[in-house]
Amino acid sequence: MKKFIGLLILTILVIITMVGCASNTTMGTGKEIAFADAGWDSNKFHNAVAGIIAEKVYGYKWREIPGSTTVLHEGLLKGEVDIHMEVWTDNLATYEQDLAEGKVKELSINFDDDYQGLYVPRYVIEGDSERGIKALAPDLKYVWDLKDYPDIFPDDENKGMGRIYGAIPGWEVDEIIHNKYINYGLDENFIYFRPGSDAALSAALTSAYDKGEPIVTYYWEPTWLMGKYDFVLLEDEPYDESTYKEGKTQLPAVTVTIAMSNEFYDSNEEIVDFLSNYKTSSKMTSEALAYMQDTNADYIETAEWFLKEYDYLLDEWLNEENAKTMRDYLN
Amino acid sequence: MNSDWLFNFPFKIPVNTGAIDKYVRDFSVKYDIFFGSIRNFLISFVNIIHSILSFIPWIITILAVVYITWRISKKISKGILYGALLFFIGTLGLWDLMNETLAIVLASVAMSLVLGFPLGILISTSDKADKIVRPILDTMQTMPVFVYLIPALLFFGLGKPPAVIATTIYAIVPIIRLTNHGIRQIDEEIVEASIAFGSTKFQSLVKVQIPQALPTIMTGVNQTLMMAMAMVVTTSMIGATGLGMEVLISVNRVEIGRGLVSGTAVVIIAVILDRITQGLVKNGEVNSH
Repeated sequence: MKKFIGLLILTILVIITMVGCASNTTMGTGKEIAFADAGWDSNKFHNAVAGIIAEKVYGYKWREIPGSTTVLHEGLLKGEVDIHMEVWTDNLATYEQDLAEGKVKELSINFDDDYQGLYVPRYVIEGDSERGIKALAPDLKYVWDLKDYPDIFPDDENKGMGRIYGAIPGWEVDEIIHNKYINYGLDENFIYFRPGSDAALSAALTSAYDKGEPIVTYYWEPTWLMGKYDFVLLEDEPYDESTYKEGKTQLPAVTVTIAMSNEFYDSNEEIVDFLSNYKTSSKMTSEALAYMQDTNADYIETAEWFLKEYDYLLDEWLNEENAKTMRDYLN
Repeated sequence: MNSDWLFNFPFKIPVNTGAIDKYVRDFSVKYDIFFGSIRNFLISFVNIIHSILSFIPWIITILAVVYITWRISKKISKGILYGALLFFIGTLGLWDLMNETLAIVLASVAMSLVLGFPLGILISTSDKADKIVRPILDTMQTMPVFVYLIPALLFFGLGKPPAVIATTIYAIVPIIRLTNHGIRQIDEEIVEASIAFGSTKFQSLVKVQIPQALPTIMTGVNQTLMMAMAMVVTTSMIGATGLGMEVLISVNRVEIGRGLVSGTAVVIIAVILDRITQGLVKNGEVNSH
């Protein structure tokens, strides 16, 4: 009897699976875009914005291929990745060369107003009467002003020293910020603290901001943190190409471009036209990411919110007819 | 026939993860003083160990390792080998980083032993406690580290305190399990005999059961130490300095050589610590027979 029941259950399972599989394989094979997903929020967000437009207006399916910056760039050269919405050109040693040799196509500059450097919460400088926070460092404006305030940003692990949260170990900018720290003589009364990972750095920032504590940290835009919290970028000497790596001047804004594989470029004209017009700004992106963080929306919902919020972008990116299609979908 | 429901769950229970986030963050703000005092305690604990380690001249440390490993293995050649390996770390210029790493590891191991040993004894005496604690231990061992690392950051800031806490959570498990196991596996007749000769339950525990279980407990200490070493690189991701940070930086920069050098140093330290504690296990076995 036991054997019979076992057999019966097995038969049922097999049948169910077969039925399921049969109905599952009837998917059509349409055009598909493979977006590069370098892992950070803004990248995924731009994928979603471009993705839903490609889907709703041009009828494409889309998916994301995760990987590190260099791996994804290789994928782009080989045609395994179709579109990279956020190529941080400064972080790719071979980008200019590959572009010149025609191995990859650059469609547009997504944004180039992304700041990075040392930030402090605004309440440290101006105070926040609503939260009852006093301005602890009203005269803090330039990076070198920090020297006067080690006791406002104390390092618990080393008595009498201040703590500057540096960049993520291994990032090129980590070395530049460290040079800056030496260059301005901040090493006399500050510890340069490497946070280890960007998740850890965000947690430290969030935690300090929630408690209303002062913190001075390296950070960059566009990020949800900078969109959501009110941080001030400490000023520095104006950017100079020859000396910024020694930490003597402001960091340059990195140009973030949209790149496409040659293969995809040749056979998908309408997507090329659309993305050639695609341009946002770092500020807009940060706002969208902050919206996502606040409302727990997913990337698609955020992208839809974003396109409603910045409705005029549709006219810049799409022709009249397509913009209308997109608006109909959004509303 | 539409059979989507076979492959997609027909409904979802909405988990309000946002509320959990908010609760944890509010909690960390509200009890900042409490967590701050733990943070300060851990910082001074690690700093004390670190200053002791850096106070000892390197030559003394090496000689001590040579002597201890020689006594344990009964072979002078082995002692010299481990001494030479330690000397090698020094010549690589990693001595100070090693001390920093060791301070965090030893602090975590000390915490694990202080908390884990009594807990292990407790659950060895009560089946009910054992039933409750066991799934908790399973969770601690299998929960992805980053899931509790980030809340630890909110409570304890970045740096050494959360590193010690995360390492303790991970490394405390073997000492609890093996203390429990060691005491439970003792022949019941031995325990009965000790009671029959008029010792109290406590006397029986301290004078008979724990010595009998010592080899197993020492294996637990060894395992705890090894697991703490395994966390070295992970905790550098939350700002713990030392060899782990060195590995992390080089890996992030794809500097394979530098990573290999600092990784080797971690391995050497782990091997030496392992041999020393394993030697103690063996000595424990010899004594108990």
